[in-house]
Amino acid sequence: MNAVRTSIFKAVALAAGLAASIPALAQDVIKVGAPLPLTGALSPEGLKQQRGYNLWADTANAAGGIKVGGKAYKVEIVYVDYASNTPRAVQVAERLITEDKANFLFAPFGSGAAKAASGVSEKYEIPTIAATASSREVYDQGYKYLFGTFTPNETLIDPLTEIVSKGDPSVKRIAILARNDLLTLSLANLMQAAAKAKGMEVVMMERFNIGAMDHASAITQMRGVKPDWVFATGYINDLILIRKQMADQGVNPKVLTMIAGPAYKEFIEATGPLAENVSSASWWHPAVRYKGTDLFGTTEAFNAAFEKKYGAVPDYAEASAAAAGAILQMAIEKAGTLDPSKVRDALAAMDATTFYGPIKFGPTGQITSLEPPVFQIQGGKTMVVFPQAVKQADFIFGK
Amino acid sequence: MIYLQVLANGLVLGGLYAAIAVGFSLVWGVLNVINLLHGSFIVLGSYVAFFGYAYFGIHPFISAAIAGLLLFALGYAVQAGLVNRVIAAPVLITLTLTFGLDLILNNAMLLVFSADYRKVNLASPLGSLELGPIFLPGDRVAAMVLAFLLTALLYRLLRDSRIGRAIIAVRMDREAAALMGVNVSRINAITFGLGACMAGAAGALLSIIYPISPLNSSLFLGKAFVVCVLGGLGSVPGAMVGGVALGLIESFGAYWFGPEHAVTLSFGLLLVLLFVRPSGILGKRGYE
Amino acid sequence: MRDWLILLALALAASALPLAGDNYLMRLGTIVAMYAVLAQSWNFIGGLAGYPSFATAAFFGLGAYTSAVLLAHGAPTGFAWGAAGLMATLFAALIGGAILHLRGHYFAIASLAVGEVMREIVNTTPDLTGGGMGMNLPVPKLSIAASAQLFYFAMLGLAALTTAVAIIVQRGKLGFGLRCIQQNEDAANILGVNAYGYKTAAFCLSAVFSGIAGAIYASWVHYIEPPDVFDILLAVKPLVMVLLGGLGTVFGPIIGAALLITFEEVVWRSFLTIHAAMLGLIIVLLVLFMPNGLLALVRSWLERRRKEGKA
Repeated sequence: MNAVRTSIFKAVALAAGLAASIPALAQDVIKVGAPLPLTGALSPEGLKQQRGYNLWADTANAAGGIKVGGKAYKVEIVYVDYASNTPRAVQVAERLITEDKANFLFAPFGSGAAKAASGVSEKYEIPTIAATASSREVYDQGYKYLFGTFTPNETLIDPLTEIVSKGDPSVKRIAILARNDLLTLSLANLMQAAAKAKGMEVVMMERFNIGAMDHASAITQMRGVKPDWVFATGYINDLILIRKQMADQGVNPKVLTMIAGPAYKEFIEATGPLAENVSSASWWHPAVRYKGTDLFGTTEAFNAAFEKKYGAVPDYAEASAAAAGAILQMAIEKAGTLDPSKVRDALAAMDATTFYGPIKFGPTGQITSLEPPVFQIQGGKTMVVFPQAVKQADFIFGK
Repeated sequence: MIYLQVLANGLVLGGLYAAIAVGFSLVWGVLNVINLLHGSFIVLGSYVAFFGYAYFGIHPFISAAIAGLLLFALGYAVQAGLVNRVIAAPVLITLTLTFGLDLILNNAMLLVFSADYRKVNLASPLGSLELGPIFLPGDRVAAMVLAFLLTALLYRLLRDSRIGRAIIAVRMDREAAALMGVNVSRINAITFGLGACMAGAAGALLSIIYPISPLNSSLFLGKAFVVCVLGGLGSVPGAMVGGVALGLIESFGAYWFGPEHAVTLSFGLLLVLLFVRPSGILGKRGYE
Repeated sequence: MRDWLILLALALAASALPLAGDNYLMRLGTIVAMYAVLAQSWNFIGGLAGYPSFATAAFFGLGAYTSAVLLAHGAPTGFAWGAAGLMATLFAALIGGAILHLRGHYFAIASLAVGEVMREIVNTTPDLTGGGMGMNLPVPKLSIAASAQLFYFAMLGLAALTTAVAIIVQRGKLGFGLRCIQQNEDAANILGVNAYGYKTAAFCLSAVFSGIAGAIYASWVHYIEPPDVFDILLAVKPLVMVLLGGLGTVFGPIIGAALLITFEEVVWRSFLTIHAAMLGLIIVLLVLFMPNGLLALVRSWLERRRKEGKA
């Protein structure tokens, strides 16, 4: 028995020793910890974020690194997979700070995990940028070290309702089908309120489970209530299936809005012609045009850099991840030091423009300066219909 | 009138569920092994169809045969090389073994195919049949009919061929079959291979219906579980009945109580059924 | 007596961990203690009685949500944790009545279904539990180190308590009865063992500590979502840990928990995206080459050495 016990303690001690023996950071490297869901249910999202972060780090390093007080630092991103498991994301965040000695952190994916992990970075006072967390509940915890590059969910909903209600006053009946999850449910609730405020009638409001494999009954019900507008929320797999099953039963509303899948090219590839006229909104779109002071410069330049590296047009998740890096870099250079609280202050005081858009964080740390574009898939492409300044096409209503 | 549509939805969905579960039921019933690899086998079948269509233009309905053959070989190898070694151990052991194997297979698929959702978009989609007020999605109906044909084929194979009779003999009494000169480990491997074959074929058929990703394997596995317990283990007709029953329960449950309650309802009914009739709707012999 | 001494030594050794002054190590320690509780709990029903239960996740999640709801309504922490254990026990007694007459795979599936149903119930009662939006718990106003220590010792204490109960059970009539049931339930019934009562007792024992562990966990992370606390891995990992350490033994579950978490940590550090496959590989090797666990392996090795020494 004793032998066993000793060997176990040896194993634990070994693990602890391994942890401690990871070399302390070399002097001229800035370490950014990035817990990502590289496997598990959210892995498509995790890989998108990784592409964005990598583009930033490579671009920054190619330009000689980040200049801090006359000295150039290389960027090193420490990736850890948390297998789409929120408790592990929290654990990983603590490990990145205490063991890997990350100077800064990118929050894990989505509102739920970002919120759970923000408690850790706040405790250790490590500036953390969340590239994919939009829900207000993430930011209203009174934390000082958390900053987010997505505006609150209603900024997606409000312009949509505006466009639809102005564009066709005969759109009166809305049916809502939402995935029972933090972001998707919050969007649905906001849509319900916004539609009512515009005098529309919510003729259906249903939730479906995470992992639902069939929507036929919900769509039969939808067919029965004859909606002018169908608003469905979910992740890309849910929305592909819902779109297909709507077609199966011949449900053709005047307006079909889906969030948050259509911004991804995978959605258009998977749904083919059924993607036509699906409208959506996202926090960024490659058609927006900004002249930034960040390392990428203009939006066009960012798009080109992304296409060169990955052979594809960037979507909002990839852009937001790259922007998180660019914003962090600007804050570090402005602060002129790696001191966490100084960088935090620089982030809080930031008022600048990047390829991603104007950057200004509100008192809670959530960005307030973005105007999320509304777009519609036309001819197999996502075309911006709002805001006016970057509009590419008029909103098309079905019959 | 709307109930007719809900009924039709349930029947078509049930047909797909039956196709998902047949192979799983066969392995469970004959070998007393819960094959947690089953979901990943289905996804692998879907990928065969996806790449077959994308690169060679092979229609998924034809790929179903290719996927079935490939998966048969894989299943045979897994059983002959690994599962057979512990086939006599308590249920917990074989269950844990297939759990470990599934972790490996699923992780490998994630690395090779990535988790991005894909789908086969037929150049000429099958559209929907309109029977008065009822819509029947063409692709689902076609996939279902093909799955039923395959299952009927399996049924005949089990009934009429030498190998089939040996499988049934092993199912009834392993020792007696061995004494009668049946090579039990070979029959085990063939049975496991047939289970994987049905999974692969089903996966190919489903590739035109569901988004394809390694992440879906646990969803398919979950449905297969419920269908098997509902219908009764190890019998081909049992999987059919269980599948249709689950399809109808989910369809009407979602319509009456809202889609978010459909799964709760089916699991709740599963528990009730286990309580009152553990051998399933059609089950004759419960495996303890 | 020997078991008690080992437990005391283990507890004392583990109490020294905070001296290392490493918060991440404390977090790992807390996780090991938590899984030791779950593995030890599973061992009552799975190891001793031989009933492959997957209900651990259901108990854990139920405990977490019971405590969270109570805390949200202003209940004191200790009360909420205790109530979570009670709730899980009552639930186990209720459910056990319905599913413990099933055997083998059927019992496994029924216990798995229980967890799924619980998760969906929580998902669909947003007014009470926040549903899919998750639930926030009050954050204790403590320093990093103090809160790390608080939860470490809470989990450690619970693990010690669970192990103490395991020692008592394994030596008593209950443990004997459960082993009889595992060997041959029908024969046990004939011999006058009240199989049904024993199994229910084992099932309740496997629930009470899992429920409290869930409650402590919820307070520790102070934000819970249904997919996290009803995670199927919370049911599978304790099982693998017990297999690893040794089925039906007192210290096997603890050894298994420490080893698996250590192993996971090393693998997660070394392999970015193939850690699941590595875990799978370990499980496969474990099942194929040492199905009786590490303890048995060590025992037989010691045995052999003793014999050689005598010869």
